[in-house]
Amino acid sequence: MELIPPVILYILVDFSVYLIVTLSLNLEVGYAGLPQFGRVLAVLTGALVAGAIPGRLLALMYGLPYGPEYAFYEYNYKVVDTLNTILEKNPLLSITIFIFTLVLAMVLGAVIGYLTSKPAIRLREAYLGITLLAMGDVLMLITYYYTPIIGGTTGVSVVDPFRWTGGARFYVATFTLLGIALLTFLLIERLTKSPYGRVLRAMRDSELVITVYGRDIVKLRTYTLMVGAAIASLGGALYTFYTGSCIASTYTRVTWTFWPWAFMMLGGTGNNLGVMFGVLVFVIVKTLIVMYRGLLAPYVPFDPVWLEYTFVGMAIVLIAIFRPQGLIPEKPIFTIPRKKIEELIKA
Amino acid sequence: MIPPIAVAKAVAYADSLALMAAGITLIYMCTKTFNFAHASFVTWGFYIAFTLTSLYGGSPYYYLPVAFIFVGLLGVAVYVLVIGPLMRRGASPITLMMSTLGVDLVLLSFIQMFTDYLTRVFKLYARKIVLEVYDFDVFGLPGVTFISLVVVVFIISALHIFLVRTKFGTAMRATIENPNLASILGINPDVVYLTSWFLGGGLAGLAGAIASITITGDPTVGSRIVVSMFASSIVGGLYSIYGSVLGGLLIGLTEYLGIMVLAIQLGGWVAVYRPVIPLIALATTLLVYPKGLGGINWSRITVRFKSLVGGS
Repeated sequence: MELIPPVILYILVDFSVYLIVTLSLNLEVGYAGLPQFGRVLAVLTGALVAGAIPGRLLALMYGLPYGPEYAFYEYNYKVVDTLNTILEKNPLLSITIFIFTLVLAMVLGAVIGYLTSKPAIRLREAYLGITLLAMGDVLMLITYYYTPIIGGTTGVSVVDPFRWTGGARFYVATFTLLGIALLTFLLIERLTKSPYGRVLRAMRDSELVITVYGRDIVKLRTYTLMVGAAIASLGGALYTFYTGSCIASTYTRVTWTFWPWAFMMLGGTGNNLGVMFGVLVFVIVKTLIVMYRGLLAPYVPFDPVWLEYTFVGMAIVLIAIFRPQGLIPEKPIFTIPRKKIEELIKA
Repeated sequence: MIPPIAVAKAVAYADSLALMAAGITLIYMCTKTFNFAHASFVTWGFYIAFTLTSLYGGSPYYYLPVAFIFVGLLGVAVYVLVIGPLMRRGASPITLMMSTLGVDLVLLSFIQMFTDYLTRVFKLYARKIVLEVYDFDVFGLPGVTFISLVVVVFIISALHIFLVRTKFGTAMRATIENPNLASILGINPDVVYLTSWFLGGGLAGLAGAIASITITGDPTVGSRIVVSMFASSIVGGLYSIYGSVLGGLLIGLTEYLGIMVLAIQLGGWVAVYRPVIPLIALATTLLVYPKGLGGINWSRITVRFKSLVGGS
């Protein structure tokens, strides 16, 4: 029985994961003004945690191989199969391991954010962008060739914490992702409207002013990179749990750095609601391209799969030239007039 | 320990990297744009050499000027359509960088389409390119080593003469120093920027065409070595073309020969981690001496050295 057409589920999953990742990017780029060209680094960290840790923990609990051999393809699918049959009968364990992994992914994401902040303190704009981009590339490369963590070029299967829901697995998983994504949205919306968010924007507009007011720019940058990386890492872990497999080559700079940039620029840099809108529009258009490119295939002398790249690239360029503020521009935040504050204090 | 042929290949690779880094640096100096589309520029140079050699025969070396001009014009198109309008609006360096990322995606998709087109219409196997077979031998070493060295020396001399001896070169340096002042003196910065994109793109195309004779290529060859390109220009200091050429030679040789030495010492498995070497070079430069090779005051060092030698 199909309650919801699969294409809608597909759009919802892409929307949820990219919403989380793009919101974290927007926090760093749109609010703090940091050139985060290495978003994939934190996303990959989350994916690594989800791909390598929950399965090993369960394997350790149930006396299965959990060392480097866990990641070897001859063992991996058998081990994960066994673990999935255990998880199928044990909803409580499934939920515990799911939540534990997400928390761990966020913690390790924050650690990665802290590490990347070390050069960020000293470098300016483009230099920082290049360094972050190179770091993301190198982590991808290492995890793609180093087998003991997530199986290198063969990848690993990931334990499925939604298995116990049986036939409703994809519905439950999709709506869990969507729920977490919307929660993240609310959290970031609160965070950016708090004094912290205002300081970030002030720092973006003038570092000098913030220094004059006695704020420590190094601390602010470090903190923002840590929060951003933790959230992006959550996105990576969720995506890995949903797909049930983990291979480093999925996490390229095009799909997890440039695409979120395009989504953010379309929606409106520095506006969370705009980002949400941008992600939704892009994911729908991308899905439509994927669905209908087959129809184009007989008429063009190339594989229409490349049109997706043309589309995203064109979108980035056209938005940058014609509508740099995005579809929903950032709005100035009006402070309450002094009289109103005095009235409030009296009351 | 290391066979001479490997050293020769390393030199050819380093030469092409030096030309790529020179292009990145020239564009950055003039328009303050970190050009990510350099990855696709290089790949286009690569594919022009491949396509023309496969379709019209002859040596790939004949088509070096074609690659230079074609990719140079591609650079002009990028400047006129994207970078120029953004600069006139006073876009930030980050926006400029991001827009070149968009350009890179578009150009990459065009290369992929072109590759499919070559495969389907001309029945060329264009997803794994080896042009090494067209190369000639000089005393048992590949000819590309010598040709690429000659090209690098020629390009550097030509650029030097162009920038120092010609009127337009002087105008170009003036614009790099201070665009406002230069425009008051009647120099049109737009023409200078356009020229920098033509030359920068052309150097990328030339470098790609040279690289096609020494390394195996596919449509993502540029984006695979883009980290090395940026590492080279950052090690070079980003404010000196000569520095970037030195940086390219240094990174290219270290990367190629370094991984070979490590593979001999530790075993073949290290070979796949080759891109880690330019990253380490990049990070070290940025953290220890961000001015790079181009920022070193050579005359002071030679004076000191002379006084040391004279004193002893």
